Amino acid sequence: MNIDFHYYATYLAAIIAGYSHEESSEIAYSAQFVDCCTRTFLTSIKAPLSAATTQSQVELINAHTDLLGLQDITRIWSSFHFLPQDLYAEKKWCTRGYRNKYRLICGPNGDLLAETVKHAKGKSLESVGLAMHVLADTWAHRNFAGTPSLVINNTDYYFYEIFSGDAGEFEKKITFRHSTSTPDDLNRSIYTNSLFQTSENSIMNLGHGRAGHLPDYSFIKYKYLPAWGDFTEIVKDNPSDYYHAFCQMVYAMRYLRGNISSFDKDTYDFEIVSPYEAQIKEIINKRQIDSCADWKALGEKISGNIIDDFDVYRYEDEYLAARKEAKDNTVLGRFFVAALRQKSMVTNKIYKSGNMLAGFSADFAEKGFVGIKDFKKLVDVATSRGEKHD
Amino acid sequence: MTRMQKIRSIFVAIVTILASIYMIVEPDDGLITMALILSIALVTMGLKYLIYYFTMARHMVGGKGILFYGLIVFNFGLFTLSLSNIPKLYLVLYLVVINGFSAAVTILRGLNAKKMHSASWRLSISHGILNLALAFFCIIFVRSTSVVVYVYCFGLIYSSIIRIISAFRKTAVVYIQ
Repeated sequence: MNIDFHYYATYLAAIIAGYSHEESSEIAYSAQFVDCCTRTFLTSIKAPLSAATTQSQVELINAHTDLLGLQDITRIWSSFHFLPQDLYAEKKWCTRGYRNKYRLICGPNGDLLAETVKHAKGKSLESVGLAMHVLADTWAHRNFAGTPSLVINNTDYYFYEIFSGDAGEFEKKITFRHSTSTPDDLNRSIYTNSLFQTSENSIMNLGHGRAGHLPDYSFIKYKYLPAWGDFTEIVKDNPSDYYHAFCQMVYAMRYLRGNISSFDKDTYDFEIVSPYEAQIKEIINKRQIDSCADWKALGEKISGNIIDDFDVYRYEDEYLAARKEAKDNTVLGRFFVAALRQKSMVTNKIYKSGNMLAGFSADFAEKGFVGIKDFKKLVDVATSRGEKHD
Repeated sequence: MTRMQKIRSIFVAIVTILASIYMIVEPDDGLITMALILSIALVTMGLKYLIYYFTMARHMVGGKGILFYGLIVFNFGLFTLSLSNIPKLYLVLYLVVINGFSAAVTILRGLNAKKMHSASWRLSISHGILNLALAFFCIIFVRSTSVVVYVYCFGLIYSSIIRIISAFRKTAVVYIQ
């Protein structure tokens, strides 16, 4: 998903869920900031590097694909952009190495999603925004894994865009090219994707790179053969998925706000969103690369407030000016804690499932603090709040 | 290309350049050494792809391609190893054919890259055409083993330089959000 959904649509979902304009703006900022919080950015403000929620192109190109490098990449992309749907999924007659990658395939309504949302309960607005980013991406990025893998993330030439016409649905073959400088040609169904690399762990095989930006466009419906699917065709209906994502975000934020007592999987606030359904679906179905203007206009119309454009540096000065002990109480400080908490939780779940692709996870209750020192911040924050450590 | 891949690529290129220089100085021994290095590299690469197929890629849509690729490369490696006892003329011819085949694959890759609007197509096609021309030269001068070795070595050095240049080239990655 792009800034249009992560920032403006999340803002609107927060408003519908009952948050104020100021609260919704902070939630939306955090949701979009997940796509900006690179190690390069963290270095520039001297923040904990383990709080990185994404990697820039330069960082990816220079990333090591040795064991530790792959674990680092997997921690980032699986925790924030490709949340695994079923860490205990089975596939017959496969090796452990294959099964571990297969289990990282992203999808909506998994146990980890419920954990992610529940983890944000009673925490900061930044935690809410971060959880909404993760939730939305489980819909957009489904069927791809947040770890470099040819055998999971590859696609072939069987790719068709599905259009709805007066005489019903019709198909058009999708052409891929590798020219990143040329924008996608929506009229001719020509899209950019990453190069085919026979190396299993090539960065080109991370996430949905081989399917280009198709998962990021709300309007598109297409069918293809995923590498892991045993030649079973998958129809990816983005308009439907994006609407489900929106309604699930409203439901999740109502839970986080305290309006409802429990968060259940596969539950959506269709009824609450229904007054805006036509307008939302119109934006989702509109054939355009960037729908920021439309989402912004709808958000402003419904909230009655002006939505500030996203500025990655909006809260940087506040963080830099804060004293060391007060940094965790700034917007960015709270975001970093939320990011560390999410990464720690997802890594732990993957590790406990017997899968080492995201690396080791040490249980604080059993072993005390060991490992990457950045994560000590989580212990400190919990201690300052009088929370029980586990 | 990651940093490690770049280092590996440059290392392979440097080894190839050194082997080529050795071949120019000692055309008789150098030829056998080159065939040996080539065969070990091909066998290792073939085995790597075969293991990858049986452990991972057999579940992948289109994974059979990895199996065929591994088998072909592995067989080429074994075949190259068996050529040490035949007259040098045939060995040179074999190396030329391998080089020509590799050049044809490079050109096809370049054409595919052009079709996909990738910026790397010019480099691939020019590399392939030059390699093909060198293979053709080798066939013309096939009776003079020394001349063939020099031409062949020139081709290898050229390929290695291209490999080093490629290692420093930026490779675009689709940014996932």
